[in-house]
Amino acid sequence: MKLTFVSLSLALGLVLTGPVLGAGDNVEINPPAEGSVNREDGLAAWDRIYEVASHPRCANCHTGADNRPMWSGPSYGRARKHGMNVNAGESRIGAEFVLCSTCHAYRENLHDVPHAAPQVAMNWQLAPVEAEWFGKSSEYICNQLRDPERNDGRDYLALAEHLDHDLILHWAWNPGGGREPAPYDLQSHVNDILVWGVAGYPCVND
Amino acid sequence: MEFTVNGEKREADVEYDMPLLWVLRDELGLKGTKYGCGVAQCGACTVHVDGVAVRSCQLAAGEAEGSDITTIEGLGTPETLHAVQEAWVEHQVAQCGYCQSGQIMQAAALLDQDPEPSDEVIDIVMSGNLCRCGTYPRIRAAVHTAAKKLQEA
Amino acid sequence: MGRLRTIGRRSFLIGSAAVMGGVAFGTYMVQAPHDNPLAKDLAEGSATFNPWVLISPEKITLIAPHADKGQGVSSAQAALIAEELDVEFGQFEVSFGKPDPAYWNHAMSEEGLPFKSTDDRWAVERARATMGGALKVMGMQGTGGSTAMADSFHKLREAGAAARETLKLAASNRTGVPVSELKTANAAVQLPDGTEIKYTELAGEAAQIEPVRFVKLRDPSEWRLIGKPMQRLDILGKSTGTLDYGIDVEIEGMVHATICVNPRQGGVMKGYKENGAREMRGVIDIVEITNGVAVVADNTWRAFQAINAIECDWGDAPYPHEQADHWTAIEDSFVEAQLDDEWRNDGDVDAASGEEITAEYRSPYVAHAPMEPLNAIVQVTDARVDIWTGHQMPIILEQQIAALTEHDVENVHFHNQWIGGSFGHRLELDYIKQAAEIANQMRGTPVKMTYTREEDFAHDFPRHIAMGRASGKVADGKVVSMSLDIAAPSVLGSQMSRVGITVPGADAQIPAGSWNNPYALANFRMRSYRAPELAPVSSWRAVGAPGAGFFFDSFLDELIHAAGADPMEERLRLINHKPSRKVLEEVAALSNWGSEMGENQGRGVAFIESFGAPVAEVIEVTQSDAGIKIDKAFVVADVGTVVDPINFENLVMGGAIFGMGHAMNCEITYSDGMAEQSNYHAHEAMRMYQCPEIVIKGLENGHKIRGMGEPTVPPAAPALGNAIFAATGQRIREMPFHKHIDFV
Repeated sequence: MKLTFVSLSLALGLVLTGPVLGAGDNVEINPPAEGSVNREDGLAAWDRIYEVASHPRCANCHTGADNRPMWSGPSYGRARKHGMNVNAGESRIGAEFVLCSTCHAYRENLHDVPHAAPQVAMNWQLAPVEAEWFGKSSEYICNQLRDPERNDGRDYLALAEHLDHDLILHWAWNPGGGREPAPYDLQSHVNDILVWGVAGYPCVND
Repeated sequence: MEFTVNGEKREADVEYDMPLLWVLRDELGLKGTKYGCGVAQCGACTVHVDGVAVRSCQLAAGEAEGSDITTIEGLGTPETLHAVQEAWVEHQVAQCGYCQSGQIMQAAALLDQDPEPSDEVIDIVMSGNLCRCGTYPRIRAAVHTAAKKLQEA
Repeated sequence: MGRLRTIGRRSFLIGSAAVMGGVAFGTYMVQAPHDNPLAKDLAEGSATFNPWVLISPEKITLIAPHADKGQGVSSAQAALIAEELDVEFGQFEVSFGKPDPAYWNHAMSEEGLPFKSTDDRWAVERARATMGGALKVMGMQGTGGSTAMADSFHKLREAGAAARETLKLAASNRTGVPVSELKTANAAVQLPDGTEIKYTELAGEAAQIEPVRFVKLRDPSEWRLIGKPMQRLDILGKSTGTLDYGIDVEIEGMVHATICVNPRQGGVMKGYKENGAREMRGVIDIVEITNGVAVVADNTWRAFQAINAIECDWGDAPYPHEQADHWTAIEDSFVEAQLDDEWRNDGDVDAASGEEITAEYRSPYVAHAPMEPLNAIVQVTDARVDIWTGHQMPIILEQQIAALTEHDVENVHFHNQWIGGSFGHRLELDYIKQAAEIANQMRGTPVKMTYTREEDFAHDFPRHIAMGRASGKVADGKVVSMSLDIAAPSVLGSQMSRVGITVPGADAQIPAGSWNNPYALANFRMRSYRAPELAPVSSWRAVGAPGAGFFFDSFLDELIHAAGADPMEERLRLINHKPSRKVLEEVAALSNWGSEMGENQGRGVAFIESFGAPVAEVIEVTQSDAGIKIDKAFVVADVGTVVDPINFENLVMGGAIFGMGHAMNCEITYSDGMAEQSNYHAHEAMRMYQCPEIVIKGLENGHKIRGMGEPTVPPAAPALGNAIFAATGQRIREMPFHKHIDFV
């Protein structure tokens, strides 16, 4: 089906903007040598990570205990709760009310229709409530992301693996439908995670 | 591709990307499922796929292949109404009625998972189904009536 | 003021009648009945008594010529005939019928006339009759302006009664029993001995008799159907997915098409690149149409895919490309040269003394966006044209398509269909012309053209924008003067220009819902200014009144608050029309007006008369950190006679919800000449979670029957705005309100 999609894209004259890596692409996980990254470079990497984490393509589904996704970004005048009174429930996949997948269906290729429900080849969902990012400061997210209690026990390598495997994350750099992708690209983001981890997970409050 | 639609095996020669909605409407001749927005904003195209409410305008045919699909025509017929449809008739919910296939399918799915939904739950579950005539108060009442019917059945 | 003296320069459709058909009509033409269209192809053994009743040996068919857009008018029309014909639901079929001058709308003339609906002086009634005569000669069949019940109420009961009496005559001829001893019930004539002769059995004999013409209608006390709850005829079909709307109709050999027309409306297409669209799966052809291009395919979605691949080079729009410039054009229209009319000038607003308040109000473009995207099936052959779709103006439709395909109008056949909402969009003809243009290029093949939702938004003719400039004075706890100037483009002018009709005179819809409200304010001036045509606009549910009524009632509320008076009591002090006063009193009682409210809560009232129906609404809201929650709404409306209380309640609630929802969050804005809103995510209106409990009451004090499709829309926005002010102290003078306040 990939081939069909590529040829269709060409036929449609679509220009896929931004990322080199798209949904389903593999990333390379090559961390710098232990001790080779200083705190300053680690913080610089963190700043870029924060730009990604706070971007609407990521933060809109990293919301808090009200279990409400957000709609925000350049195409919205103001940030607002996801329309239609959507509530993902404590399950974070909508099991208590309407499954996210009612609209965000499983799909093998890019759903490149403006304003349609984003879709990837896995179940659409909110991030765990511990990983609340929307509207949070750089310092807050930094401390959350390095806290095994709140990051599902992941070290930087596991975070990078997670970015490699979770296709919903790949979508952020290739969202389709004219949406603004997250900054940088998936590989750069993984590299930044590795740099930040090797530097000892520095946060500004340290 | 093969699908089971309302209990019958159906086949359609369609591309992976064609939304299930258009397979149903233009290939299989099932017109009860409606096109309203094409982007999951209105819910008029709601059907059940393997028992779960799905916006058929968003589900690629290739992903629906092999599934068990129920449309409004399969939920109940004028002669053998589903409890939700009975309630819709009793409350005379419809005005233009164009959104009601989707409303009914979403309500039926809701009552499958929550046999006695509160107004708050109804307001969360049903708010993805747009009605421009403004039948919402009647929909709310009809969902409660349908819940009672199903419990008494 | 000398209203009747100034009629000459008013916007009489009577003027347009002359422009359109060049008709001259005398008393005879106005009084002569139209031919009965059912008589043309009458089968052997069948009888028709008038254009609404057809009885064959097999079945009874009632013709309900008003288009059913969801307002339930098919059932209501049938009920009026059935009431007198003595047939029950289930004993007859209902058909939309074929377009025919015999179905001219008796009631459509009123909204174009410059009179208050409460004005029933003899000369005014004469003008209404004259206007009606013009529409009759034109054979102007149409649905709109909430007129279906007003048009049908007497006419269809008379049709039923005349048919009944003719059937009795046939039974009398057969049995020798005098007509006076015959009774009717359950679609049968009953003889004194209890035997029954079914109407269907009498059809052949009844067909031989000259139909009875004049029959006394039954007293309301004898009504079996009218005023009682009915089960509408379409409810089962609409609850089971088995009722076909226009978009669901299939014609043998049909192909699927969609179009893309310059989103800068009225702009040309300079050229287009197919970009491989012709080679895409299922594509049959790509053809040019006026200002755009169409794809014909074997499946609707494949047509959508291909149209999205095509790249068009669009010409400029014939209106300002940026929204800000539309507003500037409106602002610049408050000048003497563009004064359209002075609708009221009571007392002297300048001389009145008191504390002065001024304010400026705005009402945006808003889309119709009915749930069923516009569509039409057209088949053109050398001999004839057939059209299957839903439309509100069938006669104009057939004329326009005949001109387009160069057929004689007798050979153009429109088959009206169930409509999935209109809100005015199905008064427009573009979508049918586009389908006809495609079908005309592939004669013989039926073409179903379906708009994508995006095309529906891009190519809507939205509600017109408007601005109101208001000033007023308060003294001694009372409102003493009010002046309201409204500037807007003419919706009537824009709409009629697309069917080649020039409308002379002032546009009564610019100030509709303001000057006509029956308030006896000692000093009251109301003027309308005609802005130049901007984006093409069209009638949107309640037309002028949702904008002008919002300006009027919100500003009146401002004055009342400034005076320190109670919003309900001051309105009641000023109102001077009995049924209208009753409406306000009832809504006050229903909402327990004046009772204590919680912290951060507020209630607002609004009263607006439109389409002849006075409506008052009270809305209660609560302010929270997250925004405004609408808690409850109360609606009281007077329609003269309620035909079906269930349908009445549905329409009243639906109108209030429509009014609130669009006031909250809907607008169309233009950038680069194109509507910026492309789908429901950007034009949501109300969703279920925002919908309050709505308590309604219908009154029947008015002396004429009125329609309920539109009049509950206009008071909703000001009632909501007034409630928000009461709860928060924030006065919102611009729709949509969400630009100024959040809603939860």
